[in-house]
Amino acid sequence: MSSYATLTDAELVRRCRADDAGAWNELVERYSRYVYAIAVRGFRLSDEDAEDVYQDVFTRIYTRLDSLRDDAALRPWIAQLTRRRCLDVVSARRDTPADEELTAEEGSSDLSDVEEAFEVREALAGLSDACQDILDRFFAQDQSYKTISDELEIPSGTIASRIARCLGRLRSELEAKN
Amino acid sequence: MGGDYLELRLGELLERLSADGLAPGGGSAAALTVAFSARLVAMVARCSVRWDEAGGVSAQANAIGERAVELAHTDGRVWEDALTALRDAEAGEMEDPKRDFALEQKLEAAAAAPLEIASLGADAAALAALAAEHGDATYRADAAAAAALAAGGASAAAHLVRVNLGVRSADPRLARALASEQAAQDVAARLLESRR
Repeated sequence: MSSYATLTDAELVRRCRADDAGAWNELVERYSRYVYAIAVRGFRLSDEDAEDVYQDVFTRIYTRLDSLRDDAALRPWIAQLTRRRCLDVVSARRDTPADEELTAEEGSSDLSDVEEAFEVREALAGLSDACQDILDRFFAQDQSYKTISDELEIPSGTIASRIARCLGRLRSELEAKN
Repeated sequence: MGGDYLELRLGELLERLSADGLAPGGGSAAALTVAFSARLVAMVARCSVRWDEAGGVSAQANAIGERAVELAHTDGRVWEDALTALRDAEAGEMEDPKRDFALEQKLEAAAAAPLEIASLGADAAALAALAAEHGDATYRADAAAAAALAAGGASAAAHLVRVNLGVRSADPRLARALASEQAAQDVAARLLESRR
């Protein structure tokens, strides 16, 4: 993990404004999947359109970062830029305004899922490596308690409790952020 | 097969189970039984307000329930494929190595889903044990019922693994399925016995 990965968004923005190339790389690394997820999952754009949105959004971030009023509000600002650009793409492909509204409405729950997923990912970063690992194994890799027990060499009967405790810590992290 | 089991009314799902020789069959029913078990554990955890780990156990139980429903679909699909291949083999030439190899591949795939179902059954039973031990005493009988369902699902799935893999009893996958079955049955026996 690079030293930039531990920076808060506000610190990252300040370094980007100072033309720190490493900070710009981290910003792209941190938000590339986010922008892409909004375009593909939230607005159901094709890969080609999502790629156009991606390029355009990061160009705007690069050229307009000085217009961001609150450095800590980087993520909502990027989300807004992305949503606007996605709507541009959708409206260019649709004939009527009614259809545009329908698409935005349809995508709203998926957008909410994307937001939630990123909040959880940020909160996960605040947990111990052991907690991150065991939650990833159970919820992302669908590993059974037996497999987790065998691979981590911890008693099988304690796995569910360990996961439950890590989830409790994750909840505390999320509540602290909100 | 078609459609999502979760979008069917319970009566429609039961009708479909008994309708014809196609999916859903035994594997899907085993998976859905494990899903019932897991959701029952989630209920016990949610109702156990004084249990610190209840939220985390409920989340795990719901995740297991979702996986079990996905496996019910997967099992139905691979089982129909295997069944079709089996019927083609029975109707075809006596010797056809290419066809026999394809059939073996499909039967291997048909064994993979119940293997995962048995494993989920063991996990659901493990969570039921936690819920019985730490959950609200009012719901301990539900936790024991969940363990019994998990054991039933795991046993049915392990049986299907055995059948789909044929006579190769030394296959490590069969050993895994039987270990999952045994783990789930041990929990169920302990919880059911403690209520007598």
